[in-house]
Amino acid sequence: MGMRKVAVVGAGMTKFVRRALETGKELAFEAAKMALDSCELTLQQVDCVVHGTAPDAFDGVHMKGEYLADGSGAWRKPYTRCYVGGGTGVFAPIHGWYHVASGLFDICLVVCEEKMSSCQPHPQGAFLTIFDHTTERPLGPNLLWIFALEMNRYMHTYGLSKRDIALVSVKNKRNAADHPCSLLGDREITVEDVLNSEVLAWPVQRLDVSPVTDGAVAVVLAAEHVARRITDKPVWIEGVGWNLDTTYWTNRDLCYPRYVENAARMAYEMAGISEPRKQIHIAEPYDPFDYKELHHLEGLLLFDRGKAPEATALGITQRDGDLPVCPSGGLLGVGNPIAAAGLMKVAELFWQLRGEAGARQVPGQPRRGVAQAWGDLMQVGTVIVMGV
Amino acid sequence: MAILEKVDKLHQAIAWQGDIPITNRYTAGVAGERFLREIKDHARILGTRCPDCDLVYVPAALFCERCFAQLDEWLEVSSQGRVFTFTVLFRDLEDRPLDPPAVLAYVKLNGSNGGLVHYLGEVEPDQVFIGLEVEAVFKEASEREGSILDIRYFRPLKR
Repeated sequence: MGMRKVAVVGAGMTKFVRRALETGKELAFEAAKMALDSCELTLQQVDCVVHGTAPDAFDGVHMKGEYLADGSGAWRKPYTRCYVGGGTGVFAPIHGWYHVASGLFDICLVVCEEKMSSCQPHPQGAFLTIFDHTTERPLGPNLLWIFALEMNRYMHTYGLSKRDIALVSVKNKRNAADHPCSLLGDREITVEDVLNSEVLAWPVQRLDVSPVTDGAVAVVLAAEHVARRITDKPVWIEGVGWNLDTTYWTNRDLCYPRYVENAARMAYEMAGISEPRKQIHIAEPYDPFDYKELHHLEGLLLFDRGKAPEATALGITQRDGDLPVCPSGGLLGVGNPIAAAGLMKVAELFWQLRGEAGARQVPGQPRRGVAQAWGDLMQVGTVIVMGV
Repeated sequence: MAILEKVDKLHQAIAWQGDIPITNRYTAGVAGERFLREIKDHARILGTRCPDCDLVYVPAALFCERCFAQLDEWLEVSSQGRVFTFTVLFRDLEDRPLDPPAVLAYVKLNGSNGGLVHYLGEVEPDQVFIGLEVEAVFKEASEREGSILDIRYFRPLKR
């Protein structure tokens, strides 16, 4: 297709916390500066900046892409903000990828930020207004409703128990105990803890859900000829994909995310992957809720429909299993500053594939991984395949 | 709706009412907290200097947006400066007449590369001009609460 090869050459992230003293700008700066320092680049060497951040209502700043521009390093540079809801964190590096793949720019800094603690009494108040204002909002819905309805349908379709799904939360929160930036890492957590946590909207319980979080993540993308000068360990973006299902969520098949499959097929084809179960060595699917990791693993074609829970129970998705899933600790463990959480998955693949993930390092020198995020009105899938 | 049925008055239209039920509780930030505390405790305006770009940021910033250096050189800048530009406001946010009109200015502070947007006081609108020398008027210490409104307004410098 006449596109240039693009590599991730640097990454940085702030701690993920419940409420940061830093402003959104300061969080973005911290992550962006760390990413540039990690590959010894200065801001002057950056050709363009891409910012990804979720609803303006979270930070409480309208046009927050513009507000965050200076903290993201955009001073007098070509700068764009992209937004596909929760899918933004994986879409932002895709957006940066086509800036570089097209030949327009050689070095692109991608920054994702979220400061959800500003939003009072709870960010769910902002989510209320994503629903149809005449047919749904009078019912007083929030996001937990959607997840509860979708999770129940998923459990019913495949005959799953709460315990099958709670294993995901346990795995990810334990993995996150090894992440220096994590908010909810917990080495001691058990399935009973999850099953005994407060019921929010059946079948969703407190420990099935990722937390409200402040944080920022950044990565540096470079064209091939530049990347090879910057580092001897570039991590290539081998494939990208994104796809949208129907806007109206009652028109969707809630037990299977077809849009994730479509996005994955697009990315796999670009990456030359014909057998993802053999060719993908690490997966970082989007896990704002525990069942969503399972849902997304199936959409990514890594397990048969309804079979991801069984694989989880068998330990296949553990950090030392055959297919490590969310070795970072994911959103359930590290935290969920929406857009930053998605980009954290891309940064995790970068560190894992370079063998720099420290205590989180998956064994066996993985050579290819997939990261995925999901969101918008619960119907967008964004996918990146990265390899060395 | 056809044009002939046009509703002139909004309250006559059939509508579904709704709002977004959130408020926001912001943090001032690492630099912003120190900047506001200095105004509250000492009625002084602080900036941060980037040694590489030779710029003094006001309000104080944690980082230089031009070179991305983290800034740790804090200094007091003058609470005096000059009107860089200004406007005279005749209507309030509710579209009611403002009487007397208010004067809003961007004041470049001496010893900095930045400044503050704030109200001007103790001056008639027709006496304001670009380049006018002004100084900050702070509230009494007991009234200050760590807000940009701890500066009551800027007024022409008395000689």
